[in-house]
Amino acid sequence: MRPESVAWERAAEVREAAEGWRRAGAIGTPTYDAIRNAYPDPCVTPGAVWRVLTAGMVSAIVVCVAAALGFATRLDVLGSAVLLFVLGGVAIALTELLEASPRSARRGAAGATAFWGCFFIIVGFWGFISGDRHSDLFDRSVNATLLASTLVWAAGCWRWGYPLFAGLSAVSFFVLLSRFSLGRVFWVLAGTALVAVAARRTDAATGAPSHRRAAQVLLVVAIAAVYEAINVYSLDEQIIEGFLKLSPLRVPPPPALFVMAAVATAVLPLGILVWAWTSREMVLLDTGIVLLALSLVTLRHYVQVAPLWVVLTASGVVLVVLAVTVERILRRSPRASAGASRRTRCSRTSGGSRFSRPSRSRPPSRRPRISRRDKKRASRAAGARSASL
Amino acid sequence: MNPDVVAAITRLRADNVLTGPQATLFNRVARRHLVSVRLEIRLLLYVGVGLLTSGVGVLVVEHQQEIGPLAIAGALGLAAAACLVWVAGKAPAFSWRAVESPNVAFDYILLLGLLLFASDLGYVEAQFTVLGPSWTHHLVIVGAVYLLAAYRWDSQIVLGLALTTLAAWRGVSLSLTAGVHGARGAKDLRTNAIVIGALYVALAILSVWLARKAHFEEVFGNTGLLLLLGALVSGVLGDHAWGFWLLALLAVAGVVVWIAFGLGRSLYFAEGVVAAYVGLLRVLFELGSSSVAFFAAAFLGVAALILIFAAHRRMIER
Repeated sequence: MRPESVAWERAAEVREAAEGWRRAGAIGTPTYDAIRNAYPDPCVTPGAVWRVLTAGMVSAIVVCVAAALGFATRLDVLGSAVLLFVLGGVAIALTELLEASPRSARRGAAGATAFWGCFFIIVGFWGFISGDRHSDLFDRSVNATLLASTLVWAAGCWRWGYPLFAGLSAVSFFVLLSRFSLGRVFWVLAGTALVAVAARRTDAATGAPSHRRAAQVLLVVAIAAVYEAINVYSLDEQIIEGFLKLSPLRVPPPPALFVMAAVATAVLPLGILVWAWTSREMVLLDTGIVLLALSLVTLRHYVQVAPLWVVLTASGVVLVVLAVTVERILRRSPRASAGASRRTRCSRTSGGSRFSRPSRSRPPSRRPRISRRDKKRASRAAGARSASL
Repeated sequence: MNPDVVAAITRLRADNVLTGPQATLFNRVARRHLVSVRLEIRLLLYVGVGLLTSGVGVLVVEHQQEIGPLAIAGALGLAAAACLVWVAGKAPAFSWRAVESPNVAFDYILLLGLLLFASDLGYVEAQFTVLGPSWTHHLVIVGAVYLLAAYRWDSQIVLGLALTTLAAWRGVSLSLTAGVHGARGAKDLRTNAIVIGALYVALAILSVWLARKAHFEEVFGNTGLLLLLGALVSGVLGDHAWGFWLLALLAVAGVVVWIAFGLGRSLYFAEGVVAAYVGLLRVLFELGSSSVAFFAAAFLGVAALILIFAAHRRMIER
């Protein structure tokens, strides 16, 4: 990434944190202004709706231009591949221009041009190598395109820091690995290695903030890949082997391997949850919860412990009770009272609810009435303080 | 941990911008010693309610012969009543202003109760055909109950459910007669969507104007605009007299964009711009998919982009 972009991102991280502190009532406006002055951010950063709208409109423009040129030139496969290379190059050059300016870097346009630039180059590469060849080389061209996709998305993420590109690169990489005869083993090995690398980068002070987010995406994709490789249902149904050109005949896995996979299916989500508990990494917690749910579904597939309606209803009841219990425990814990209850509380009055702060920090007469949206934000921030794992 | 924020806290403390207790608290958050699980708890509740209602649905489908319709209807009614009684017991007094939920589970137990009530009503209708040929009217009853519950217990989730149920009532009713009326069915459906959409938009304006649950304005406004603009776009893309629909669409989208710009509402603005853009594509592609049409669509996109940038800049300046 450009050093200027990294500096802008770092300043934006601090300003965003300060915004959260102010919303939660932990700092006042003078302190907030002092922080903003200490960390100036020259970038124009519109809200999510504006960014999505801009990205969507830029995507429409790019796709329409590509289609117009395609209709106008009526090229063959190789010619179209060259055209896509040119369009990809133009889109990437445009991205560089947009990223260089603080007025346009975070508007959503740069992300859209970067995406379409990488996409056009990958599709162009595919057209170039598979153009006039025979079908026996098709398999190799698929592998080469997947490799190109891995590298192009990875380069895009490295250069511009978009976490989505890291995910696309990792997915391309694992699909490529699955096209080899030992694909499942490769998924476990490469996934484990990627987990080890990405986990170290999520908190790295040397990396740009967006690269840290990209590392989180890689972590999730790698864990998902390892889980997919060791999941007993995936092994039984040979899901990964299905990516091979000539899928092997369906043979049931050896009993010992089946048992090992069953144990791993149960253990891995619990391991991820333990890791999340110790590291307090929320991405890991969410991943662990999803994997645990998938493992329970797998268990239900092989062991019919009860009728479906019993399983669904009981799961629903357990989840509701679990959520309510966890919330109550966290709110009642001493650390929660040190965080939320002492600092922020909601009191209901005859005229509706009012968000108030303790009189120690602000006299009652100066308590501000704030909107519901602000109340929600403050409540969320209070949750952030109270929900101490 | 967030190393940038951790470093900033150290610097801000050294510069006396932050006090000691502030720096200590912020450090705990930045170093992830203190994290939020609010989203996860809400997600668990939402999935839990979904699984519960699915389980009940499967039970009814698989075992209705063994259990018997009366027992099923009674059990569903009891379960719904239990949820709603719990909600009524926990709920704060009614207010026309926003009311904070007493706890995190409140909204979801309310949702569960109302979904069970709707299931019960649907089951009773299917088994005993209480309303006979006009069975679609049970959607009105469900929608009205949802609406009352949304206002009484101040739930935007339930309000969204009420608005979609009421819109679905018109849709289902018209779909049933579409076979009789042929192509006219689609027109009627469109007209109904426009009327309901306009009604919702009017309710959004009224809720703010009269200060009666003013925070419901976003739900009313967005649902109404989606119906209204969606129906007009559907008319442009699917009707022979598309020119009339296009004029109507451009007029409505123009008004929406203008008002959204004045109020500083980005989502309304986006809905208006996207609807107008999609409608104008019909003009460009009327003569077929040619390079000229695609180039024109690209130029139209550039014009929309300029409008977006200019509007955003003006909104920030204001």
